[in-house]
Amino acid sequence: MKIRRNRKLLVDPPEAATGDIAFILIVFFLVCASVQPDQGREQNLPRSEEQEEKKNQTKNPTVLIKRGEVDVNDQRIKLAELPLKMSELLRGKERPEDRIVVVKSAKDTPYHFWIQITGQIEQAGGVITLQIEEEREVQVP
Amino acid sequence: MKIRRKRVQANVSSAATGDIAFLLIIFFLILARVQDDSHLQWIPAQGTDIEQVKNARASVVIDVDNNTYLNGGQIGVGQLADELEKVIDVDPNRAVLFKVHREATAIYYEPAIEAISEAGGTVYHILEKE
Repeated sequence: MKIRRNRKLLVDPPEAATGDIAFILIVFFLVCASVQPDQGREQNLPRSEEQEEKKNQTKNPTVLIKRGEVDVNDQRIKLAELPLKMSELLRGKERPEDRIVVVKSAKDTPYHFWIQITGQIEQAGGVITLQIEEEREVQVP
Repeated sequence: MKIRRKRVQANVSSAATGDIAFLLIIFFLILARVQDDSHLQWIPAQGTDIEQVKNARASVVIDVDNNTYLNGGQIGVGQLADELEKVIDVDPNRAVLFKVHREATAIYYEPAIEAISEAGGTVYHILEKE
């Protein structure tokens, strides 16, 4: 007599674990997707205040940043010379108020260039202060 | 004859705990998404002397289209100082993450820096290591 083997065994995975599997998968993808912590540079700026423009108002160095060009105290200098120039101007100045460097920017100055220049000023010991010109609309009758 | 009362066990089904955890995660994910700015498009400028920045409650982004965002929501530069002050007043560090697209021009980022300064925040320029 031939004995037939029972081939219809039920091998279903236990459904009770699906919730746990989903949970572990979510945790895995959350860990994978977690972004790297931000890296950056701190910049302490004095609180902004409105000041009328006066001639010869300050003895602090003034840096004018244009697209690819830098003027220090109204004198055009090469980018490579900026760290040395700033070190010279800030030499012997100990108090933070003496190390203030007034930074003006042309409207079309790109951010990456501004960061490069202000970074060099700060490395030379300067304290950045922005001078922003206010635009006023005047209606002519 | 003494008839014994049949004891019925009332166990809470533990099969649903996975589903509850799943729903809780989705809930917190959606909640966290409100302050997220990862959907904004910007390329960081490169810089030296950069360090890991502490957690900050406020982030200001200027994206590739020169739009300004506070904690992921678009905002006009005119309202930035007031809104920022409300956010950083509860933060003892008063840290503001400043994320500016590398090609954005001064006409866009300078007023934003001014607004952060006006709100009394400490700017952290988010940069990429050179």
